[in-house]
Amino acid sequence: MNRHLPDPKLLPDHAEALEGQVAFRLAAYLSRGAEALPHEISERLRFGRERALAKVPRRAAAVQHAPAVAAWIGHAGPAAVMGGPPSVWLRLASLMPLVMLAAGLVMIQHHHDLQQIAAAAEIDSALLADDLPPDAYRDPGFSEFLRTAEAP
Amino acid sequence: MASDKELSDCLKNVEKRAFKRTVYAVRDEDAALDIVQDAMIRLAEKYHDRPAAELPLLFQRILSNATMDWFRRQRVRRSVMQNMSDFDVGGEGGDFDLLESLESADGMLGAESAAETVSRSQTLLLIEAQIAELPARQREAFLLRYWEEFDTAETAVVMGCSEGSVKTHCSRAVHALAKALRSKGIVP
Repeated sequence: MNRHLPDPKLLPDHAEALEGQVAFRLAAYLSRGAEALPHEISERLRFGRERALAKVPRRAAAVQHAPAVAAWIGHAGPAAVMGGPPSVWLRLASLMPLVMLAAGLVMIQHHHDLQQIAAAAEIDSALLADDLPPDAYRDPGFSEFLRTAEAP
Repeated sequence: MASDKELSDCLKNVEKRAFKRTVYAVRDEDAALDIVQDAMIRLAEKYHDRPAAELPLLFQRILSNATMDWFRRQRVRRSVMQNMSDFDVGGEGGDFDLLESLESADGMLGAESAAETVSRSQTLLLIEAQIAELPARQREAFLLRYWEEFDTAETAVVMGCSEGSVKTHCSRAVHALAKALRSKGIVP
């Protein structure tokens, strides 16, 4: 009775199953090879992926600042972007905050000096413009008069 | 819409296989790296707003197109195009019976294979060499269907052909690989 049935080996499903079995076994070999890629290739792929992610439009606003920063820093060089050793320009740029802080302190000190000079000049001009001669303040009797006049 | 992390994970998941697949096609690691990076950038720029589930399929399609673009540029540059016009197996090997070959192994598919005589790395190199030798469409169908594990319909979408063509390409690729490897003493 079975002689009238087709050979199971010739059934399309059977053939497809065997083909799939072989194909997935070969693919498993390929996967092992892909996971064992050289470090340099993996790093270049990672760099390419990060570069692609930076191109996503919603990140464009953040990325737009990059040219301005690059122009301000000067020529930082590709090493800075790729995580290599910082260039001379980048090192100089990192000192900028300290330089600005020192300049700020100098300006504050200068402003304080100007204020003191202005206050002294105001006192001098008031003394000179007053009817009372400045030498009167050296007189002990006048000083005593002032103290008793201010006392209640 | 895919989040940043989903897009990043998608690219991270496919990048190594994409690189190898492209190397099989163009046989130049630097060119393959450029093509994969170009495909990743295209995906990020134009399809970042698609659902995360669609990204792998889109990426494979973009990668296929980018690879084709590379071949077109090479053709213009060299005026010679190789390995891209072969869309069928041809008459040779028609008498090779995969079923017979596999059945003769008594179901021990690859259990012992050539492991006793060839190291795993050598086996991998042989397999990769044979895959690189496949006609382009067969190789693409085989890798998408069995390595990327797309189903037949998805593979057809990526390749821009019918599901029947995908099945034919896959079947021929598996037979060709099995025959070639068996001739080198490897039972796949």
